[in-house]
Amino acid sequence: MSGTGLKPYTEFILPPNVVSKLDVSHLVAEAERADNELTAEAVGEKIGSYEHPELVISDQLKSFLEQNSIKLDNSHDRSELITQLRLLKDKVPVVHMTFAVIADRESLQQLIEWFRASVHPQVVIEAGLQPSLVAGVYLRTPNHVHDLSLRAALDGRHGALVEELEALYVGK
Amino acid sequence: MGLFHKDKKHDDGEAPNVEHFFDEYFQEELRNHGRWYFEKVISENGTIFKQELEGTIERINTELKERIDAQLDASVAQINTNIEEHINNRLDAQFVEYAKVVKEAQDAALASLNKSAQAVLDQNTQLSTTLQSSIQSQEEALKKSSEQNLARLEEMKASQDAALEKLTAGAKAVEEQYQNLSADLEKRVAEQEEMRVDAFKDNMAKIIEHYLLGALGDQYDMKAQLPSIIAQLETNKQAIVDDMQL
Repeated sequence: MSGTGLKPYTEFILPPNVVSKLDVSHLVAEAERADNELTAEAVGEKIGSYEHPELVISDQLKSFLEQNSIKLDNSHDRSELITQLRLLKDKVPVVHMTFAVIADRESLQQLIEWFRASVHPQVVIEAGLQPSLVAGVYLRTPNHVHDLSLRAALDGRHGALVEELEALYVGK
Repeated sequence: MGLFHKDKKHDDGEAPNVEHFFDEYFQEELRNHGRWYFEKVISENGTIFKQELEGTIERINTELKERIDAQLDASVAQINTNIEEHINNRLDAQFVEYAKVVKEAQDAALASLNKSAQAVLDQNTQLSTTLQSSIQSQEEALKKSSEQNLARLEEMKASQDAALEKLTAGAKAVEEQYQNLSADLEKRVAEQEEMRVDAFKDNMAKIIEHYLLGALGDQYDMKAQLPSIIAQLETNKQAIVDDMQL
């Protein structure tokens, strides 16, 4: 892929705090910003007239760099990292999950861990909200939908409910 | 004036005392006296003349009025007489002319009436003849029509008998249809009743389901649902994996 030893995007390990495609976009933007700042710093050092502040990066990028053992020292590596992250953003597999209540970050991280352990190591979640589901989740993969909501669970059980009601009425 | 005129004979032969009495003053007095007397006479005569003139003028006016009235009356009477005669003459002439014209018109109208009467008489004769022939033809047509109506009545009677038979058969068919319809209706009522019971059951289930969903929906937050969601994902894991790897 590249001659610098940087892994291709297909081998990237995404940390649990990178949950959605938006988080991947943030990684790309932040990598670009870091590259700009570090390049400016290098140029400033060469001319000796530039005092730069310490580079500040987010926890997401920090975790990503640590898990993938990537350093930002080399300008060429940074450029390659940006390129691969852009490819990752375009190619990353997405599952759409619609919940009955607002999904908090912690719950999404638990779900993404299950997905990456069970389905695909780079999958991300696009979360939605539909209160009429009552409980459970409405899952949409690239080619299928899986209605795992409580409403769907009750939809096919009218007969059983009626039978129980009639039994309850007769028993009364 | 001769009284005051100085006479040369006396001047020549009389005594100077006479001249003394007829001095200037006395002459002037005499002149004034004569003047006054003359004016008095003139005034009296003028008054008398004026009175007489006024009387004369008044008398002349009276006479003139009387004469004018008399002449005017006479002229008016004459004019009235002339006009009356003229009008009478004209009226007589017009009456004669009108009488002549009226007589001619009466003669013409009488001739026309006679002609019309004759024409009406002729028309009556023709109408009577035509009416007689028409009555004969109508009688013949009526007789023929009556015969045709009798034949039609016979046909109608036969048709009514046939229709009555058809009606009887139709009534039987209707009775049979009624029986079938009644049975079908009872069957459909039973089916409707069953459908309504089913719908009631279904709706009751939906109501209870709605109640349950409403009651349960408020109880579950995301953390409480998470184990159940992961369990369901685990159940469908293979299908999800297969789809993601396509």
